[in-house]
Amino acid sequence: MSLLHVENLRVRFPTDHGEVEVVKGLTFDLGRERLGIVGESGSGKSMTGRALMGLIAPPGRVTADRLEFDGIDLRNLPESGLRRLRGARMSMVMQDPKFSLNPVIRIGEQIGEALQFHRSMNARARKQAVLEVLEAVRINEPERVYRLFPHEVSGGMGQRVMIAMMVVLQPDLMIADEPTSALDVSVRATVLEILDDLVRRRGMGLILISHDLDMVARWCDRILVMYAGRVVEECAAEKLHEATHPYTRGLLASVPQLNETRRRLPVLDRAAIGAGT
Amino acid sequence: MISIENLTVSFGGTPVVHEVSFAVAQGESFALVGESGSGKSTILKAIAGQAHEWTGAIRIGGDALGKRRDAAFVRRVQMVFQDPYGSLHPRRTVDDTLSEPLAVHRIKGHDARVLAMLDAVGLSRRFRFRLPHQLSGGQRQRVAIARALMLEPEVLLLDEPTSALDVSVQAEILNLLADLREDRGLTYLLVTHDLPIVSFLCDRLGVLRAGRLEEVSDVASLRAGHLDSAYGRELVARSSG
Repeated sequence: MSLLHVENLRVRFPTDHGEVEVVKGLTFDLGRERLGIVGESGSGKSMTGRALMGLIAPPGRVTADRLEFDGIDLRNLPESGLRRLRGARMSMVMQDPKFSLNPVIRIGEQIGEALQFHRSMNARARKQAVLEVLEAVRINEPERVYRLFPHEVSGGMGQRVMIAMMVVLQPDLMIADEPTSALDVSVRATVLEILDDLVRRRGMGLILISHDLDMVARWCDRILVMYAGRVVEECAAEKLHEATHPYTRGLLASVPQLNETRRRLPVLDRAAIGAGT
Repeated sequence: MISIENLTVSFGGTPVVHEVSFAVAQGESFALVGESGSGKSTILKAIAGQAHEWTGAIRIGGDALGKRRDAAFVRRVQMVFQDPYGSLHPRRTVDDTLSEPLAVHRIKGHDARVLAMLDAVGLSRRFRFRLPHQLSGGQRQRVAIARALMLEPEVLLLDEPTSALDVSVQAEILNLLADLREDRGLTYLLVTHDLPIVSFLCDRLGVLRAGRLEEVSDVASLRAGHLDSAYGRELVARSSG
């Protein structure tokens, strides 16, 4: 049973020179699996994530022939209906915990806010649930961290707090938009492991959005490669290195390797790719 | 070209870099690698004069540096920062940004120098009077590199120069840095957490952990994955993980 149906998704923004389409007719299905969306800045990958969450604010416009989450048509859902879904059934981990956590609310209370909004629970049960979810994201002293403010924790811990906040209601779908690119390399793997573990254990669907091909290949089952608002290639994660589209091949080749001996790195011939799509 | 001896850097009395020593030859490209908090950027800051609490010796081309950096120093040593969105003045055009070092150092012939530099860093001349927000991330980083080269320095301090860029743009900037070094005989001191970049751009590397230099190794050992220190091997394992 498929969790998400997307057909011909388009996102447009008006500009001085007329309307610009940043997502140009995206179609995909998502089950309870891990889907990676890769592409460069401006490929439309983040806009896709935001459109699915209903987070494109006017004057931006989202249209689709079909946009269904677990049988619910998202296209004409009023804001109140979206609010009931967001956080509870579908949630999104943003890139940088520094900018996405409220700086003046204690971490525990911030995580509890979602429970307060979506569930009727007394304060004690709520606190218990928050402590449990902090433990689930491998925070060693949940009682202490509960009382901290976001500036008092490191980036890696901040991102774990954010993940805790997003899974506390056990959603069915999690969208993670560059969840580790603001983090230090040494903690990236830990954060992804935690995310992966939660997704598998709770049977969630995951959309991992990133520009990092190797990371997506490692943590996902299936990959969509986006370029200029379109999907140019779809493949199984383990087959990424057999990709055939010139854009995907160009991206793969431009990444330096540990045993690098090339004098120059190949760069993308954007004109040729533009002509090819 | 660069010689660092027993360098200890502190912030507010707390030492964050402990007695680090290494030397970089003229024309060499040397990398400092390590995690956040390992002190790699702090060493660059001490050299650039942005961190004042340090002891030990820093020599550039044989001249010991004091606490202040003079005009002669900045003509020899320039820095390229990580984030091209933050390091360019948002209301100055590319031309303003590139001319300013010339004005400060009373160097004549702005026009020809700015145009020559745009060519050297692969920016079309039509970008000369644009503002940073009209440029892409890769173009901005080209401007930042051009600005650093305006005074024709011998040494570039590079602080994660490509980590804010897309991989395909990163490849363009890394190629540019490799070409510039070859053309101009520049000496690079590069700070990064990305080991494959070191393999591409550097001759040797120093591995830092918690403010201490664990080892200095040549890049051939890195490519083969044979670093000496346990921590160095751990970094390699994570990088290929």
